[in-house]
Amino acid sequence: MPTFNDFLSIVKDDLLEFAKENLDEYKDELLKDGNDFVKKTKEDLERWTAALATGVLSQADLEFLLKGKKDLAEMESLKQLGLSKIRISKITNGVIDVVVGSAVKTFL
Amino acid sequence: MIKRNQITALHLFIISTILLTACSSISVYSPEAYKQAVDLKIESLNIMSSATMPFSDYEEDVAFLKTELSKAYEFAKGRPNNEISTKQWEILIDENRNLLGGFLKRWENDETLSEMFVTEAQKLVSDAFDTIIGLESGKISPSELK
Repeated sequence: MPTFNDFLSIVKDDLLEFAKENLDEYKDELLKDGNDFVKKTKEDLERWTAALATGVLSQADLEFLLKGKKDLAEMESLKQLGLSKIRISKITNGVIDVVVGSAVKTFL
Repeated sequence: MIKRNQITALHLFIISTILLTACSSISVYSPEAYKQAVDLKIESLNIMSSATMPFSDYEEDVAFLKTELSKAYEFAKGRPNNEISTKQWEILIDENRNLLGGFLKRWENDETLSEMFVTEAQKLVSDAFDTIIGLESGKISPSELK
């Protein structure tokens, strides 16, 4: 007859595996988004400063675009904050599934 | 026999799960909000393309777009647990910031804008809409909720 200790042991292993899978995936997504934003910003700045030097963009244009980039970064951070909340919701649901699954494995 | 520390561990786990759920509350996916953002992205970029021409020729189009943007903002604001998306809309349409709202204000003030500036501002505004669309499409659909 399985004991509560058996259940705790199984649930611990299952949760560790679940957390590893989810966190690795999330870390990769987050790093990719961050790197893409930095790369794009660098390319934009190079193009804008070159255009300023040749007079294609005015000082006021450049100032507007730089501030716009800052606003965009804020919106991107909000997106990441929202996605992390969604991720937590999904993980919470996943944790419940893992615990129920472990209980079924142990006792049924 | 279940020991006292095992019961405590179980209680802690249940409380953590409840707290985690409470802290992470965010609105569910809305197909209407998603469509609204996609449609407004296309409309906004389209109107921005005309900003190399006199603002006075497009005053009515801009006024109409602003109304549609305000509707989207109010729709976002009215949804429960939707503060993050609402803040995104607020930044995008704020005339005192430097995305769509600021762009339209500048066009109105300057009457015409340079081609490169318009193209570069369009890229920023396009990416800004994508952050709203990306967050909405990442939300959990009501049918996935348990």
